[in-house]
Amino acid sequence: MAQVAYAGASRIYPGAHSVRAVDGLDLCAGDGEFLVLVGPSGSGKSTALRMAAGLEDVDEGTIAIGDRDVTQLPPKDRDIAMVFQSYALYPHMSVRENMAFSLKLRGMSKADVRVKVEEAADLLDLTQYLDRKPKALSGGQRQRVAMGRAIVREPSVFLMDEPLSNLDAKLRVETRANIAALQRRLATTTIYVTHDQVEAMTMGDRVAVLRDGVLQQCASPQELYGTPRNVFVAGFIGSPAMNLLTLPVDGGGVKLGELKVQLPVRAEQGEVTVGIRPESLSPVGAGEDGFDLQVQLVEELGADAYVHGTLAGHADKVVVRTDGRTPPKLGEAIRVAPCDTGEVHVFDPESGLRIGAE
Amino acid sequence: MTARTNRLGRGALTGLTWLVALLFVFPVIWMVVTSFKHEVDAATDPPTFAFTPTLEQFTTILDRGFLPYLANSAFVTGLSTLLVLLLGVPAAYALSLAPVKQTSNALGFFLSTKMLPIVAAIIPLYVISQNLGMLDNVWALIVLYAGMNLPLAVWMMRSFFLEVPTEMIEAARVDGAKLPTVLYRVVLPVVAPGIAATALICVIFAWTEFFYAVNLTAAQAGTVPVFLVGFITSEGLFWAQLSAAALLASLPVMIIGWVAQNHLVRGLSMGAVK
Amino acid sequence: MTTLVEAPQSAEPPSTRTRSRQRSAAWKRRAPLLPALLFTIAVTQVPFLVTVFYSFQSWNMVRPGSQHFVGFDNYVDVFTDSVFLQALGNTVTLTVVCVFVAMLLGLGLALLLDRTFPGRGIVRTLLITPFLILPAAGALLWKTTMFDPTYGLLNWAFGVEVEWLSNYPLAAVMTQIVWQWTPFMMLLILAGLQAQSREVLEAAQVDGAGRWRTFVSITLPQLSRYLQLAVLLGAIYIVNSFDAIYLMTQGGPGTASTNLPYYIYQRAFEGFDVGQSSAMGVVVVAMTLIVATFALRLMFRAFDVSRGVK
Repeated sequence: MAQVAYAGASRIYPGAHSVRAVDGLDLCAGDGEFLVLVGPSGSGKSTALRMAAGLEDVDEGTIAIGDRDVTQLPPKDRDIAMVFQSYALYPHMSVRENMAFSLKLRGMSKADVRVKVEEAADLLDLTQYLDRKPKALSGGQRQRVAMGRAIVREPSVFLMDEPLSNLDAKLRVETRANIAALQRRLATTTIYVTHDQVEAMTMGDRVAVLRDGVLQQCASPQELYGTPRNVFVAGFIGSPAMNLLTLPVDGGGVKLGELKVQLPVRAEQGEVTVGIRPESLSPVGAGEDGFDLQVQLVEELGADAYVHGTLAGHADKVVVRTDGRTPPKLGEAIRVAPCDTGEVHVFDPESGLRIGAE
Repeated sequence: MTARTNRLGRGALTGLTWLVALLFVFPVIWMVVTSFKHEVDAATDPPTFAFTPTLEQFTTILDRGFLPYLANSAFVTGLSTLLVLLLGVPAAYALSLAPVKQTSNALGFFLSTKMLPIVAAIIPLYVISQNLGMLDNVWALIVLYAGMNLPLAVWMMRSFFLEVPTEMIEAARVDGAKLPTVLYRVVLPVVAPGIAATALICVIFAWTEFFYAVNLTAAQAGTVPVFLVGFITSEGLFWAQLSAAALLASLPVMIIGWVAQNHLVRGLSMGAVK
Repeated sequence: MTTLVEAPQSAEPPSTRTRSRQRSAAWKRRAPLLPALLFTIAVTQVPFLVTVFYSFQSWNMVRPGSQHFVGFDNYVDVFTDSVFLQALGNTVTLTVVCVFVAMLLGLGLALLLDRTFPGRGIVRTLLITPFLILPAAGALLWKTTMFDPTYGLLNWAFGVEVEWLSNYPLAAVMTQIVWQWTPFMMLLILAGLQAQSREVLEAAQVDGAGRWRTFVSITLPQLSRYLQLAVLLGAIYIVNSFDAIYLMTQGGPGTASTNLPYYIYQRAFEGFDVGQSSAMGVVVVAMTLIVATFALRLMFRAFDVSRGVK
């Protein structure tokens, strides 16, 4: 058991225009914690994970696992196990041999290897497939073999690189829960990379959001959702994305159409970026306070419906969550108001940073 | 188009395919047929189709000392292919999975040697072999055939190595394997079919090589093609004997090629086909 | 590497740390390549350099002690030698025609094979057989059982009395070479046909393309790298054709079917003129290099050499 600590860790790809794939990362996954790295493609999340694995050089800074500095150690000396996106199973070995490979390399006795592999197989429901080759397994079974290969080693850290992205939607949800449960049970420090923010929010104890190699925010899912530190995190976490509108400040508030919204924080003169989640808006009666929305698209999901529309006199799109049973029609105008002023987020339009007391 | 005319069209196309294939391979069929004839039935006008088959020609060929040539061919082909693999596998690795910076230069060099006409080197090779006392020596052929096949082999094996997923190698490293273990236990088993395909192509080209064999060997180290050359000097029409010799000389490669057709395709397309 | 583990907080700037590591790694990476490289240089480049040296000498092998330096005399002789020029022409004709015809035939056969029908495996086996026949055996068989003016099958089948090897020597040789190499082309093109994505073909069908249209607009472009490979490999081997000419026509009648490999062979091993045949060899290499630079570029584009090079 151990924590993983990045201290100013950078990965710089050399070249005419050297790229800082990961830039001065300061991040710590606590002992037994499930830490998720999330971000759009090219954000450096996989690179950061591979740096911890020893598969990418660390050009600046250090990485420590437990109280050991592992910056210069090869992967095999780091006491880690990794699950790859493609699973990277050895095609010429049976499931049993795949799982036993690392144990054999460590010189464990045959009997012990057998016990360990069978324990892991039992845990993952793979016992009946132990003598098959990966070729003869389904996608979900292969994924479990990849997991099994990691857990038999009883490493101090699991590193997982988008391990669910090759599964279909239903299996993904199921496996998501299984992995989370397994991790809680083994209580092994885990760093998990995904581009799927739903996966990130549902699985992680804490979630680290990366963009262009720079850490944006690392916090619990609840905190990321409730108080995003900047515009990027605000827009990235939550689906559909938060509505972000840049509006002039007028006497401590902004005007959304004809509705004046009081800002929860004191803002100077000039402009601010206001963020309101679709679920923080709701339709109101024609006479009540609110603003009019011209409906352009309705996404009906059953329980809910998301209404996409434009604000009169504004180019930006606004998305509103409504009751799925009585969605408005295309082309209608509906009146909308925020449910609660506390759920209005305010950001500096220049720096993108959150304004307000923390 | 109705289903019926469609089926008719398909049948006709199949018939055509068979016809073309049989016509195309007819010289080979005729060779096999002729090899079982008595010499009097072999060269006739019109050609003889009905005859009493005989094994006489094959025994004659063996009596004329065919077996030492066959042994030379097998020895030269086998060892030169082994040498190609010994040199080529590491080189292909250095040009794919752990690529050196000058990869394209090295690849270009290998391929360009393949484009050097062999005639451009035969004279010094002859003189050098003569001075070293290596004329009519199987080892000279082994080295030359390895040099002849190595460039193509490196190209082919490189493309097979490139198919090995990087993640799998990384997985092995994380699993605790050192480089030799990664190569031996993980990479090699995965590229083995590709290496087999490459070896097959090398075997075919070495077995059928003619130019070096004719110019650098004679009775001692002569390979199977050299044995066949004996037949152009005998002006008399020993067609049945010639056919029998041609059949025996080609048979080993024919059988290997037939059995391993799919490997052959993979090798020839340089691993471009999965 | 051993002490670094103990000193993680070393003040060494990261750039030098990276650079020295890269330098030793670069040599470690080159090591597996070197034996093959040195071997190839020894077996192909060194003899060629000796050929260049010989080409400036006058040296007849049967007259010991005749070896002396003559400068460019041999080259002057080569370019004024009408037989050399004819052999050059024959080589070009033979290579271009054989590669082109074998490829067309190969394409046709591959298309015939690229469907399911009874006995497909057998037909494929039959069709690849000429490639597996010893070329020397193939040449002798064609010379005798096919082309012979009295007993050959060709004259019997067509009901004519043609002296194929005397009247059409180059064409006869080319027929044999095409027969030998068509299966090779066919196998490569078939591989290309079968690597096509079914979905793309179906998309073309849905888009309303007929069979011919699909072939021209979808299949041929997708085949192009296989066709390039076929042309390149075919040309490399066919340009060096020696067996067929040596065994079927001996370059004759006269020099009608002499190609460069055969002519150089004649000058060297029948005329024993080392100097002149070496000069010819050098000229051939120079010409090949010009063609090859072009071909190599094609090859690199087709096989995307940058793949796997980081």
